[in-house]
Amino acid sequence: MAKTENGVRIFQGLLILGNVVIGMCGIALTAECIYFVSDPHGLYPLLEATENDDIYAAAWIGIFVGFALLALSILGIIAVIKSNRTLLLVYIILMLITFAFEMASCITAATHRDFLTPNLFLKQMLERYQKPDAGNNNDKWMSEGVTKTWDKLMLQNQCCGVQGPSDWQEYTSAFRMTYSDADFPWPHNCCVLDSRGSPINLDGCKLGVPGFYKSNGCYAAISGPMNRQAWGVAWFGFAILCWTFFVLLGTMFYWSRIEY
Amino acid sequence: MKQGSYSARKENLSVEAATWYPEDKLRREKKRLLLIAPEELPSKELRICFYRNHCLEKGSSMCSCCVVLVLCCLGLLSADQSLKPQLGDFQFATNNPTLTTVALEKPFCMFDSSLYPNRSYAIYLYVMKESASTISSLVTDESSKPLGSTFQQTSGGQLGPYNAAFFDVPDCAVPPRLPDVGDMNKAPDVLTQYLFRVGDDGTCLYDPNFLGVCNPPLVPDTTYRFKYVLVDNSEGIVKDQTLWSDPIKTRRSKLPMKIDTWPGQRSGGMTVITSILSVLVFLLLTGFLASVFSAVMGSEDASAETKGASPTVQQSELRPQLGSE
Repeated sequence: MAKTENGVRIFQGLLILGNVVIGMCGIALTAECIYFVSDPHGLYPLLEATENDDIYAAAWIGIFVGFALLALSILGIIAVIKSNRTLLLVYIILMLITFAFEMASCITAATHRDFLTPNLFLKQMLERYQKPDAGNNNDKWMSEGVTKTWDKLMLQNQCCGVQGPSDWQEYTSAFRMTYSDADFPWPHNCCVLDSRGSPINLDGCKLGVPGFYKSNGCYAAISGPMNRQAWGVAWFGFAILCWTFFVLLGTMFYWSRIEY
Repeated sequence: MKQGSYSARKENLSVEAATWYPEDKLRREKKRLLLIAPEELPSKELRICFYRNHCLEKGSSMCSCCVVLVLCCLGLLSADQSLKPQLGDFQFATNNPTLTTVALEKPFCMFDSSLYPNRSYAIYLYVMKESASTISSLVTDESSKPLGSTFQQTSGGQLGPYNAAFFDVPDCAVPPRLPDVGDMNKAPDVLTQYLFRVGDDGTCLYDPNFLGVCNPPLVPDTTYRFKYVLVDNSEGIVKDQTLWSDPIKTRRSKLPMKIDTWPGQRSGGMTVITSILSVLVFLLLTGFLASVFSAVMGSEDASAETKGASPTVQQSELRPQLGSE
């Protein structure tokens, strides 16, 4: 009898440990997703303009799933200690629902990350950067967002264009409609600027003399944060779910074995 | 070398100087050399140095003359091949040619054999589309004066060459040093001395007050040819001209709506996550149903047994059941 008692106690201990880990992971997931949603790199307007901002939707789901995991893990610990069938059943059902939501979040983040290619941002930059007023308010809002984001990107990361400044020469763009090629082969922020915001040598910048214009592309500065966000949400969520799977299986087994 | 004796000899030739033509230049200079006594020349090699004007001013030590000799000979040897306007060095000006502009090197040392001291010269730049070479490619009129055609008159170089600019003859003796462009103070000077940008001025066509020579932007995806012409300012006559440059084509731009944004095949990570999570959900649901089922069956067995057995037996049967699991 003592042996089976010990076996039960050990099993309960394992379930409690599992729930503690789930609770802590829930807090971590909430914190991580709040960080991503706060958009520290200011790249959200670019995604908004592509109308494909689902990696942010995945992060929002992650915030609430994290809270739910925390609350349910506390419920689970209480239920296992009391060995109450009703509580355990409630725990299992709510955990299954949370599992489904988290699964949706992971798959969304992983899938929509695949859509973020250099060509997508190139097309968007060419069609929306410095686009003069046209169409409706939504269009105007998105174009302004793209313009501000690109200006900030080029200034902070010392880069120009998606793959390089030659993007502005190879393709026509909304920018080219307003500014002639002779005056602006590429936008003003592609020139190396001094502390007051004017180019150190405008002719050197127009001619493409090394040192007077920014020759790097901005794609690394865009894709880096977005990849980290998508993979952070997707893979961390996946790890939590794998762990939760085992804890849930154990809990179901425990539930089926205790008597009313 | 005695300067005094040389200048005396030079004055003998001053009458001939006024009637010199470019193609007779070399013959005249050879005659001048013969007038100078051979013993006045420090070394035999100096004789060739005199073919270039700047060698006359130098010439104190033998070594500098030998170096200058080498440069002069190289200059003479390559003179015929380089007498065309060249595109600016690609390592230096990487954005060249652009959609509507072309940056050309200024004509360094191309006209040196035609220059005389104490006369002012200007260099005129002519631009024409390659298709216009069948119509007309003359840059002078009958009296050897440079053609004053403008961009508008030639429809942007379609009907013949137009004059895009004129500037001073670049100094051959002190060419701009390209590495100096790294220095912020010297950079603007280096750029203006070394390159000339055709198509730089976007407003002169539409400005009614503009009086100078207009250099408007070129047309994208078109081949142009360029020529430098040396003009004597006082006489207004063309003294020398380079050949027409090699055809230079301005860039062409593509439409952004043709960019293909299809991401291609699915990444491996997405496939792993989706497949494994689907399997896990399936197993969880199966396990949940199994446990509910077994709980229901267990409670049915228990209720069936309680109907036919005593409570004490029931308790002892349940304990082993729990213990055996």
